[in-house]
Amino acid sequence: MLDVTKSGLGSEARTRARLVSLCVNGEWHEVAVKPRVTLVEAIRDAIGLTGTKASCECGTCGACTVLVDGRPVLACITLAVECDGRQVRTVEGLADGEKLSALQEAFLDQGGLQCGFCTPGMLMSATALLERSPRPSREEINKALEGNLCRCTGYNAIVDAVLQASGQGVKPVMK
Amino acid sequence: MILFDFELERPDTAADAVALLGRLRGDARLLAGGTDLMPNMRAELVKPGVLVSLGAIAPEAPATLPDGSLRVDAFSRLADLERSGVVHARAPMLAESARAVGGNQVREMGTLGGNLCQESRCLYFNQRHDYQFAARCYKLGGERCYPFPTNKRDTCWSVYMSDVAPALVALGADVEILSEAGGRRIPVEELFTGSGLAPLALDGAELIRAAIVPAPAPRTGWAFHKSTVRGGLEFGMAVIAVTLALADDGKTCAGARIAVGAVRERPVRASAAERVLAGAVPEDARLAEAAAAAAKEVNPLPHHGFTKRYLMDNIRVHLRRTLARALERARGARG
Repeated sequence: MLDVTKSGLGSEARTRARLVSLCVNGEWHEVAVKPRVTLVEAIRDAIGLTGTKASCECGTCGACTVLVDGRPVLACITLAVECDGRQVRTVEGLADGEKLSALQEAFLDQGGLQCGFCTPGMLMSATALLERSPRPSREEINKALEGNLCRCTGYNAIVDAVLQASGQGVKPVMK
Repeated sequence: MILFDFELERPDTAADAVALLGRLRGDARLLAGGTDLMPNMRAELVKPGVLVSLGAIAPEAPATLPDGSLRVDAFSRLADLERSGVVHARAPMLAESARAVGGNQVREMGTLGGNLCQESRCLYFNQRHDYQFAARCYKLGGERCYPFPTNKRDTCWSVYMSDVAPALVALGADVEILSEAGGRRIPVEELFTGSGLAPLALDGAELIRAAIVPAPAPRTGWAFHKSTVRGGLEFGMAVIAVTLALADDGKTCAGARIAVGAVRERPVRASAAERVLAGAVPEDARLAEAAAAAAKEVNPLPHHGFTKRYLMDNIRVHLRRTLARALERARGARG
């Protein structure tokens, strides 16, 4: 595992790690990070929750989307120190124990995922949407998910899953 | 992880932020939403020693001033502008332009001021190509321009791609600039140098504190159009923002403001096209004439694979349609 408290710069390093408190999925964590460490690295490497994916690492693909104080943000271009004292929600926080959220169930049912790499980000973006707008239109869903790229599904099954989870007339496939 | 080390400061007030910038002189960059700065730092296009984060400063809600103008805090997130009832009521084009930016997460993170202060872009400058390290381009202080090898050292054709800036220009907005010396207010058009090498006319120790959108004249319509390839999560090929006011008779055009973005080093006013419309009855042929004049006048730079000829056609066609929509709104607007 990457030791995020150590910089690659050795003795030249000017900056020191600082303690940052993050409330991830309701549980407070203190991590020691340098300013250059991103939120996704803190979540994956320091806290050990690897559900959140780092893909493009330049804010393009949306795979790293997590909710910070309820806002969907790109964790790969958010600095961990900027989130000190904030509420962070990741894909691990969606299920209640073994029981998946309605949205996760709908993704499973509709086949809203294939390789699954974009799925944590998709779920977090869609979760933020449903919390703001419990019955979104297809257009609203498209707009809310425009920052999440998927190279497998062609998106239709994902949009159908969000419609199904919000109880909008999409019939379950598997039940 | 950003590949180089830097320090981060989180001042509590905007005044402290500019004081810090003044003290650190040149080694510091402002961090707002980070959606432009962080990718650029990852690619090492900028390597500040210190980031001055605005994250601890809560933006004020958009408010109407006594003269009827709308003051929007530059630290406001774009998504909040998109959702703000006041912005929708007083400056709907600002809300629509904010909604056109990037993807959903980018709007949730990015701020109005940050969007205005974004770095200009070019297919080569923003890529982490090996040759940017071996021999950097003019904009990075190097010896050549890769996409346009005949360009001289003082010419950089990177384009300024803010979606919000053309809307603010068309709305005739001002921006409030804060420095250690205090605040000053300038028209948003004066924010830009017109040089791709350094597109912003801001001193390193200044920040944009607010945008002020004047109340529209009676019978004013607006329209906004962003040309894209896939319709989301991308920079525009050309961004068009228009306001058009009708005279008391409800037929003659009293005046228009046309701004075109994403095709030059700065958002461009199409003044010749505005003159075609002012005082005339804006029939279809007149709108087409104005749009054709604008395409010539704006003289778009080829960028991101779009040729100059294509972009001129794009502006000519979409500006005509955008003007028609603005005219329709002006006819429906309260007198």
